[in-house]
Amino acid sequence: MRDKPLLRVENLKTQFVTENGTVRAVDGISFEVYEGEIVGIVGESGAGKSVASMSLLRLVDNPGEIVAGEITYKGRTIFAAEETEDGDRRLQDGVLSAETVRQEIRGNEIAVIFQDPMESLNPVFTIGGQLREFIELNRDLTGDEARKEAIDMLREVGIPDAEARYDEYPHQFSGGMRQRVLIAMALACQPSLIIADEPTTALDVTVEGQILDLVDELQRKYGTSFIWVTHDMGVVAEICDRVNVMYLGEIVEQAPVDELFYETGHPYTKALLDSMPRPDRTVTDLDPIRGVMPEAIDPPPGCRFHPRCPDAREVCRQVHPEPAEIDRVDGFSHRSACFKRDVFDVGYDESPPLDNLARGESERGQEASEVASGGGASE
Amino acid sequence: MSSDSAQSGDSARTDAHGRPGGDTEAETMVRVDGLKKYFRSSSGLFEGLSFDPSTFPPIHVDREPVKAVDDVSFDIRDGETLGLVGESGCGKSTLGRTILRLLTPTEGNIYYKGSDLAELSGSDLREMRSDIQMIFQDPQSSLDPRMRVGDIIEEPMWAHGMLDAEGREARAKMLLEKVGLDPHHYNRFPHAFSGGQRQRINLARALSVDPDFIVCDEPVSALDVSIQAQVLNTMEELQEEFGLTYLFIAHDLSVIRYISDRVAVMYLGNIVELATKEELFENPSHPYTRALLDSIPVPDPRDSDARGVLEGEVPSPTNPPSGCRFRTRCPKLIAPEAYDLTDREWTDVRAFMRAVDRRTIDAAPAAELREAFFEQGVPGGDAGAIVEEAIELVATDDSAASQRSASARAKWDEAASLLVGSFADQSICARERPAYEVEPEFGDGRHFSACHLHR
Ligand SMILES: Nc1ncnc2c1ncn2[C@@H]1O[C@H](COP(=O)(O)OP(=O)(O)O)[C@@H](O)[C@H]1O
Ligand code: SF4
Ligand code: SF4
Ligand SMILES: [Mg+2]
Repeated sequence: MRDKPLLRVENLKTQFVTENGTVRAVDGISFEVYEGEIVGIVGESGAGKSVASMSLLRLVDNPGEIVAGEITYKGRTIFAAEETEDGDRRLQDGVLSAETVRQEIRGNEIAVIFQDPMESLNPVFTIGGQLREFIELNRDLTGDEARKEAIDMLREVGIPDAEARYDEYPHQFSGGMRQRVLIAMALACQPSLIIADEPTTALDVTVEGQILDLVDELQRKYGTSFIWVTHDMGVVAEICDRVNVMYLGEIVEQAPVDELFYETGHPYTKALLDSMPRPDRTVTDLDPIRGVMPEAIDPPPGCRFHPRCPDAREVCRQVHPEPAEIDRVDGFSHRSACFKRDVFDVGYDESPPLDNLARGESERGQEASEVASGGGASE
Repeated sequence: MSSDSAQSGDSARTDAHGRPGGDTEAETMVRVDGLKKYFRSSSGLFEGLSFDPSTFPPIHVDREPVKAVDDVSFDIRDGETLGLVGESGCGKSTLGRTILRLLTPTEGNIYYKGSDLAELSGSDLREMRSDIQMIFQDPQSSLDPRMRVGDIIEEPMWAHGMLDAEGREARAKMLLEKVGLDPHHYNRFPHAFSGGQRQRINLARALSVDPDFIVCDEPVSALDVSIQAQVLNTMEELQEEFGLTYLFIAHDLSVIRYISDRVAVMYLGNIVELATKEELFENPSHPYTRALLDSIPVPDPRDSDARGVLEGEVPSPTNPPSGCRFRTRCPKLIAPEAYDLTDREWTDVRAFMRAVDRRTIDAAPAAELREAFFEQGVPGGDAGAIVEEAIELVATDDSAASQRSASARAKWDEAASLLVGSFADQSICARERPAYEVEPEFGDGRHFSACHLHR
């Protein structure tokens, strides 16, 4: 068995109430983060990766709300609630107040890095000024000490000529340099966990490479844990220790990184890997996943992937698979939410195959028409 | 290798700036010759407004122009997909738009099926305009939200006076089907479609006027991988069916590797390498191409190749480095001949020079600097003397003064220019613009590389 996890998320549900209905953006996900590891959350856009990561610090704004689940961090309960019969939620006793989460957990214990650094940097203040202020607010340093620490941090994240650049404004920094500044801010309070939501997605590959190396180096040096949100399987392979694959609000597969690629458990993960052009070898035929991910407002019944799954059977349309352990590697479980595995006893083998998009029984035109009407506009 | 190859070795220098891959066997669709596109930046403090000097005479501009595309020559062959790859800001889109003459070239020529685009007028020009089309990255903003899909697709036909109303509708519906959409969606508005579907509408629109050549500017970059694969496959099918030629611009090397027949790599306004796909990916000969390939995270956790990391950032295209534009970051920058340095000595000197120039190091006592950069000792001779002089300038041994002081900064600047002036600027990489033919290892297509290592 492993040590206790740093962060444990259980059955987390986050929803948005919109005029068209309730968007079940995150719908009952569970995962852990242990000390010193980089845990990936990977999936297509709209899968719920960002909402999931924002929920961890209760940063979801109206009309979004965490409606159920439990988030514990170092034994403290960031969130715990149950859905009541009438669909309301009831907070449990002993949950930290939103105020406490903001003051004691955010920054000091868990820091966040977003995709767009400009969201986190104020364009009218200098880089150094903002970093210094952040350090003053969060640590017992003031004035020159905080300034010195800020310059050291800039240097630490590889900003050349840190002393001079301390006085520059965000617009004078390139995208990669700004992302380094955010990393400096995230590290400034020596948190145990950093949540990074697609921090390199907007960067050029050479700059992304520099940032990934930096993270690797810092992670080794400080032992910080990361939750790394990305849609890029290359990034996952490169830096993650364990991975959660999200599809339509759910975690469909969870595995140590090598297992995920070499002992792939879920057809969606496999389809993602097969549809990807490769930089390291020439692929002559890509095998795309048919159709698009439906809206989280109206997820398909049963297995949410069934309309696009090449292995779908009748039972997949009727029963909803929860992730179940299919293997254990180095004390970590490999979970998959797919009936193909023996651990599920729902009669998958006897169930008749479904005629669906992925079987190619429908022409591309029809596939597209189904997709276009998915959002409500029906023909 | 064909035995009647005109090259005598693997380092035959190309004439002029080389016409990479200008073989004559395959028919040339587009020929780009010495193309330049400069933008004059106006005096806005935060925003540089660019306009075209040849259509709008500059009033008075002191500023140096942004050299977005600077002397580029290559051919695009009939029926091929030429991939154009490079980091953002290197000039890919400007090149694409200039080829389409959406932008007027500052200098140079573009020949389309043998005729100079600049000399076309009247009906020839109109015909050419329908023959070459473009699709853009953002399918969201390139479709007018108030127009119905059918009208969007028919608009170019209408503008070119193609077919009657009935014929246009029939063609639009046929194209919807061809791009993988439902012809019944003819009357829908763009918002009802997903990103991948919008890109398909763009494809149908581009195809409506029956073009031969399409410039595709990051057409799948905004799409998720699974959707990306669908659209890429459709593009390949359409190419086959309609005999299309693509210039396919992307920053994603995996996508480029999938879709292209040949690949051109662009850096800071220049094409630095051009070869057939297999040759470029398996036998990259330009240090920039290698750096790009090395920095991609490979989707394989067992991939043991350490990812290489390229230092520094792309310099300003307003004042690009002389000679080889990649030289300020190149890990292979060639030693200046004047000093007779060993490889190891040059590696040390180069690292020290760059650290001082970029200020990636802190000021330290001379002994510490020597130890950090010259483990095997500072080289002797003139080179060594220059290095020692620079160390003297930046070392903190006898100055208690803060490194932030104006004089410390001035000395640092002096050291940087001494080192750069004595070493980097003396390299052949700074003195001559490279352009070479390399012997291909894969296939027998020509392989162009703008790197003096192949001299
Ligand atoms: N403010 C909001 N209002 C309504 N729906 C939202 C809001 N933010 C996110 N969603 C929905 O939640 C789902 C998950 O989104 P997100 O977490 O952003 O996905 P990802 O980060 O994986 O791309 C999507 O269906 C998205 O449309
Ligand atoms: S449960 Fe059925 S539909 Fe879902 S992934 Fe497995 S095989 Fe496919
Ligand atoms: S010419 Fe010199 S600087 Fe340019 S790529 Fe070749 S070795 Fe590097
Ligand atoms: Mg997101």
